[in-house]
Amino acid sequence: MRLATIRFGEIDIDESKAILFKAGILGFEHLKRYVFLLQDKGILFWWLQSVDDGSVAFVVTNPFVVKPDYKPVIQDNDLELLQVKLPEDIFLMSIVTIRHDPFKVTANLRAPIVINSKNKLAKQIILDRPDYPIQYSIMDNKLILGEEFYREEEMIASALAI
Amino acid sequence: MLILTRKLGETIRIADDIKITFLEVKGRQLRIGIDAPKHISVHREEVYQMIQKQNILAAEYDSLGDNKLSHIWNRLIQEKEKL
Repeated sequence: MRLATIRFGEIDIDESKAILFKAGILGFEHLKRYVFLLQDKGILFWWLQSVDDGSVAFVVTNPFVVKPDYKPVIQDNDLELLQVKLPEDIFLMSIVTIRHDPFKVTANLRAPIVINSKNKLAKQIILDRPDYPIQYSIMDNKLILGEEFYREEEMIASALAI
Repeated sequence: MLILTRKLGETIRIADDIKITFLEVKGRQLRIGIDAPKHISVHREEVYQMIQKQNILAAEYDSLGDNKLSHIWNRLIQEKEKL
C-alpha cells in the first residue's frame, strides 16, 4: 500500500511487514501498526513509522549498542502475549530521543520495545529496573560498534524492514 | 472513584486475583503490598507518565528538518571520537 508520511513523503509499504502493537506505544495507544524503515546501511538508528498515522515516527536503536551489559528481563506474560516460542526470535529496540545537540541524544532503556520477528507482534514493556534510565545519554556512555551489531542489523533488516 | 477506608493490615480485593494490603503509614508515606498474577503489570503511575512523555518527545523530532538518520548518527560518532 501507499503511505503518506510527513517525513518521507509517499512511500510504498509491504503490509505483510507491518509490526502489530496490540496495546500501541505509550502515549500513542490508538496507533497499532508500524513499519521499520532503514535509510542507510551501516548506521544503527532506524525509523519506526506508524502505518496508521503518517505523521508519527520514532527513531529506534539496538539497546545493546548503547549499553553492552544491558540485561532486560522480559516477563513470562509478555512472552506469552507476543507468542514467543524461541528466545532468538526476539528483537529489542530502544526509542531514541534526538536533539540538535548530540550530547542530548538519549535512548529509553527502561521501556524497550520487544518484537517477535516470527509473527511481528510487538509491545513496549516497562522493566522492573529503576536503574535503567528513560533518558540514557548515548554520548556520555560507551558506544559499542562491534561487527555483531551490523550483522544483527542485517538480520533485522531482512526480517522486518520494508 | 470508589473510596474505601481500611485499617492497617487490612486488604482489598480486585476481581478474583488481585489483593492490596495496607502495610504501614509513616508520616505522609503509605506502604502497600500488591499480590497479583504475573500477567498483571504493576508500576508507579509516574513511571507510566514519564515514559508516555518521553515517547511523545521522541516522536516530535522533525522540527529539526533533517530526517536523515545518517547525518545524526555520523555527528554522534564524530563527537564521540573527539572525546
